[in-house]
Amino acid sequence: MITEEFEPTTDTVEEEASVEACTKCTACNTVCPVARSTDIFRGPKALGPDMERFRSPQEAAVTPGLDLCSGCKLCEVTCPSQVSIQEYIRRAQNQGAREKGRSLRDWVLGRTRLLGRLGSMTAPLANFGNSNPLFRVLMERFVGIHRRRPLPKYQWLTFERWFKRHPRPVKSRRKVAYFYGCWVNYNDRRLGERAVAILERNGIEVVVPHQQCCGIPAVVNSNMDLARRYGQQNVRHLTPVAQEMDIVASSTSCGLMLKHDYGHLLDIPGSERLGAKTYDIMEYLWMLHEAGELDTDFQTVPMRLLYHAPCHLKSHGIGYPAMRLLRLIPGVKLEEVDEGCCGISGTFGVKVEKYDLSMKIGRRLFDAVKAAGSDYVLADCETCRMQVEHGAGATSAHPLEILAKAYGHG
Amino acid sequence: MKTDVAVIGTGLSALAAARTVQQAGRQVVLVWPGLSSLYFLFATIDVIGYPTATATESVADPAEAVARLITREPSHPYARAGMDAVHAGTRLMLEWFKEAGLAWQGALNRNFLLPTATGTPKPCCLAPASMTAGDLSRPEPIVFCGFTGYQDFAPELAASNLKRQWGAADVSAIRVTAPGYGPDRLFTSVDLARSFEDATFRDAVAAQLREHVSGDGARVGVPGVLGLTRPGETFAAFQEAVGHPVFEIPTVPPSVIALRLFDRLRKHLQEAGIEIIWAAPAHAAQVTDERCRSVLLKAAGHEFPVEAASYVVALEDWVDGAFRAGVHTVRDPFFHEPITWNKVPTDRTAESLFSTQPFEQVGYALTDRLQPADENGKPLARNVFCAGGAMAGYDPSGTKSRGGMAIATGYRAAREALAA
Repeated sequence: MITEEFEPTTDTVEEEASVEACTKCTACNTVCPVARSTDIFRGPKALGPDMERFRSPQEAAVTPGLDLCSGCKLCEVTCPSQVSIQEYIRRAQNQGAREKGRSLRDWVLGRTRLLGRLGSMTAPLANFGNSNPLFRVLMERFVGIHRRRPLPKYQWLTFERWFKRHPRPVKSRRKVAYFYGCWVNYNDRRLGERAVAILERNGIEVVVPHQQCCGIPAVVNSNMDLARRYGQQNVRHLTPVAQEMDIVASSTSCGLMLKHDYGHLLDIPGSERLGAKTYDIMEYLWMLHEAGELDTDFQTVPMRLLYHAPCHLKSHGIGYPAMRLLRLIPGVKLEEVDEGCCGISGTFGVKVEKYDLSMKIGRRLFDAVKAAGSDYVLADCETCRMQVEHGAGATSAHPLEILAKAYGHG
Repeated sequence: MKTDVAVIGTGLSALAAARTVQQAGRQVVLVWPGLSSLYFLFATIDVIGYPTATATESVADPAEAVARLITREPSHPYARAGMDAVHAGTRLMLEWFKEAGLAWQGALNRNFLLPTATGTPKPCCLAPASMTAGDLSRPEPIVFCGFTGYQDFAPELAASNLKRQWGAADVSAIRVTAPGYGPDRLFTSVDLARSFEDATFRDAVAAQLREHVSGDGARVGVPGVLGLTRPGETFAAFQEAVGHPVFEIPTVPPSVIALRLFDRLRKHLQEAGIEIIWAAPAHAAQVTDERCRSVLLKAAGHEFPVEAASYVVALEDWVDGAFRAGVHTVRDPFFHEPITWNKVPTDRTAESLFSTQPFEQVGYALTDRLQPADENGKPLARNVFCAGGAMAGYDPSGTKSRGGMAIATGYRAAREALAA
């Protein structure tokens, strides 16, 4: 007879969820953008919780199609039982890569900061090479980067160096630390400048602490050890900062790494304290608004805007703060596209063997964007923006750009 | 974030509640703890199919049968919602379906008798227009059509069972091939549904059907896979190409018919500017002075507080993790109160899978206004209202009331939330 009272050992459903919590309902398979687009991929249920029962830490996981999981995490968003479906797949991918070895390409793609440093140092040359058809053919042949995938432009002046010369505001109500990420630093300094201007406009002093790549490029290129190293460096640098102020990130996936994946996927000790103080920048601005601290003295912005919610934003569990904020701006006509994953998934859609699949996944979104017509397609995630521009021929921007316009910055 | 009413759940009761609040002109947020059973196993809206869980004679007039059930069982969720909520909620949903472009048929004073995938006649009140040609009160012969390699629908099984249970009628079975679906391919209803949106694929299947189905007036029953995103169009085009009345039969999960319903209603809410907070299970209610001040969602990294004037808790007990069962107690994720539970673990389940399961009865004790209550009947919070599977005694399976109960309780809870 069982007489002992059963008490759960942890207090959240999420932590208790395991392969055993999967009820085989198949909800994940129905939303998986990859399974929708190719027959070879057997879906998150089979590759995650089903196969997990047959895996052991001692052996590499060899399941056909495993590397086709792009890591969008929509399966986890959908799961009624909060099973960490994608984490099982991710760990198996990583285990497989550890045994088989990684290609030069995946080694490089996992090191965004190294790429960024090289790219920005040689900016004109790098940008010329990246857009030169002959060079791209060679790159496809020898590195495995698809020739038709537009690559991000590098900039000579990094955000880090720009910020060093940026004058600090005289007066401020509070401070916030900005996690700018590799994209803002090496490819889109302007977005970082906008973030700083908007925060300062609201009486917040921006602090830019020393930081490393968030690690997601390494995670998605099956190099979790490297990602963990990056994560540990960030935890070391940022945790003392987080004791004094909140941290905001303007990239959806960087933010999700800091908030959630350092602790859950990479098992970095002590990362929970950092995650608890990290906010997506739009989430943070909305909190300011609800606290009555956001300057809503907006100029009219007469624009038709479409909003594409990045998959990883859904994993944040904070709704769509960008839509809430932009609806405060007079003149803005804002609609959600709601056609699911764009298909690029970071470096996934850059690879020669995955480019076509990535474009096929995004087709529904591209068609909807083309049919709707708009001044901008907004997305919080930089690779979503790249994909929408490439696939739908639209102009894309971070929602912050519109907020900046409403404050009169260009 | 702040809002007038927060609805927690994504099932039919949650959607009915959200729509009710929206129609009243108040701001509503839907909190999404993962998909509900609506997403993958629903198909029709059953108001009441059998007067009791053990009855064998099906109900002819659902409205009358619910009224009788309410008189007989005053603590039944239908009784708590009230007859007015049954009528008003159903009206609200049918109007919504129409506005959202979903073609549905049925009324509260009659039941269709529709064949299931195993050939059992099942009473249901409201159904998509693509299913109603299967109504067994109609006399035309039925041809069940399966697809070679599709394992979730065996037309021969459906035909032989229906022949036995339904009597005299002319029922037969055929199988056709679905182009591109060879024996090596693993596929589900969702894959087929996507293929059916393609005209070439559809016509190739229809051509085989035209060849096999002889005799005037025969109707063709196919698994419910006729299109995912433009259901009305795909169904109409296919039926026309076949040249016979066609009806869909709901499949085992994933049910495409359910996917269509849920996806359309969700999008329709979002188009109207209603926000859905994804991937954030609610895990605590902050209650002071008998009022819930906020519900904390388990978001990435930290808790995400939703502050509303009132709340509708519309979870489906077991499916979306509303309750957590221990050996002796069940706890809920909001108030963390122990909930009445069969003390002897072996009494919680019935031996037969198809019997009424005692654990289904577990849920919040309620006040007359659907507020979750403590053992003395005092509300745990005055501005929280409960709908759907998390209500005590909520078990729609035996009486075939899934859908009807969800709508009536969702509507009533939302009205109470608006009045709070």
